Amino acid sequence: MLKHTFSRLFIVGGVLSFALLISGCSMIRGPLYPDVIYNNRQPLISVTYEYGEIEVQLPLAYPGGVPDIISFQVYAQGDTLNPIISILQESPHVFVVYLPQGVLDIHSKSNLIKIIPQDTNFESVSVRFQGIRFGKIQLPPKVIRMKQLIVSGTVFLNKNGRNLVGVDVSLQNFDNEIKKIKTNEAGFYQLAIPGEYKYAKHVRLVAGNNLIFKPHKQKLDFSQSFKLIENVGVGPSGDLVDPLYLTNKDNVHFREKPDIGSKTIFLLEKGEAVSVKRVTPGEYNGSIEVELNNKKKVEIEGWVYRSDVFLLDLNNIFKKGGDNDTEL
Amino acid sequence: MIQNYKSLVFILLLPVYLNGQVKLSVNTIPKKVKVLLDGILMGESPIKNERISPGVHKFEINKKGYAPLVYDIIVNPSQAVHLDFFLNPIYQIKFKTEEVGLVFELNGTQQWDNKFIRLNIEAGDHLLRVFKLGEIVDEQTIHVDEPKKFNYYLKKSLSED
Repeated sequence: MLKHTFSRLFIVGGVLSFALLISGCSMIRGPLYPDVIYNNRQPLISVTYEYGEIEVQLPLAYPGGVPDIISFQVYAQGDTLNPIISILQESPHVFVVYLPQGVLDIHSKSNLIKIIPQDTNFESVSVRFQGIRFGKIQLPPKVIRMKQLIVSGTVFLNKNGRNLVGVDVSLQNFDNEIKKIKTNEAGFYQLAIPGEYKYAKHVRLVAGNNLIFKPHKQKLDFSQSFKLIENVGVGPSGDLVDPLYLTNKDNVHFREKPDIGSKTIFLLEKGEAVSVKRVTPGEYNGSIEVELNNKKKVEIEGWVYRSDVFLLDLNNIFKKGGDNDTEL
Repeated sequence: MIQNYKSLVFILLLPVYLNGQVKLSVNTIPKKVKVLLDGILMGESPIKNERISPGVHKFEINKKGYAPLVYDIIVNPSQAVHLDFFLNPIYQIKFKTEEVGLVFELNGTQQWDNKFIRLNIEAGDHLLRVFKLGEIVDEQTIHVDEPKKFNYYLKKSLSED
């Protein structure tokens, strides 16, 4: 009986103790606030980029002279005012530049390398190219040339000043033809040759090879300028009065007198004009124009065989077999 | 046949696709955290040898016991980008006072009037304001950097047990 009572008391005591323990723990720990309380502190984040490198290689060729120094300017993204890098160096055979990743336009050819030789005799050139994100760009070779030498002007007939169409005009170095052109409908011509001839001593302008007159030949000097203007008069001048005859071969004797054994004053080239004044059965007496050193022309009188000349027809001044008609 | 064709196109276009991408690696402290990129699960940190396109992206990182992290980034065109996220832990704080009739407020938003309460608080500084009868009677900053217990006495600095 007593044991049973103790047992009951023990159970009741245990239950009460457990209840007290639970409620006591809750009282000790306290209630939990339902939300997490943030202070919106900026999280600590580290961002590290690795950038690649762009290597641009541009081979250069110098067919003529080589400038001492070249300035290379690299522009990107179509901005041609502010170079991303400028390099001044001795003329290399391959220009190499290293650029950071991301500076070039990788979608279009809006990136540019300006090659500016530090020598006024050379042309500046530009190379447009499309970029890549990183890696190597191999560009096609670029030619660095000396500036072109240009000669231009009109070809006209000395006799009346009219411009001539379709006249052959050429530039020659010694007797080697460098370039040839025909005058246009206005009698205008323009010839351009590589700048390597700038200091050549024997460059000459030849006009009228397809005319019956003696061709006009003139030495050119480009040492002071890249552009020359030369207006060329062909044929006899207006000072020579009609009728005019032209020599029909080279080495025509222009003699002092009609007599056999008379002194030869000049040997005339084919196509030289003689203004005839008197006629004998075998010879013509007349005058020719001779240009003096000071470019002044004087008339000299003499005799030529009739068989060595033919009457000049100004309506037909082109050589036979050419593709030109007379244009006056 | 069509499947083979698609595979071939994919293989051919893969270098083009990869060429426009930036190599990505993500580390977090703590590790083994799920990382979402633009709302898509990338996997658990650390993440290596993934690819990301240059431009605007959003990273989201959630882990129990840490403040959720959202990070917007403009990825520059580059060879690789490495991201390290240090998650801010949340600590349980016991807050106790013997004062009566006080209302406590943290960061201008969370309020309680219990004399003894447990709070889950993000690590860092928090602004505590104390009100009595609707008026501010105290204001101070509490710094949480570990689980701790605060005892509050009016107009005195919080003491730590």
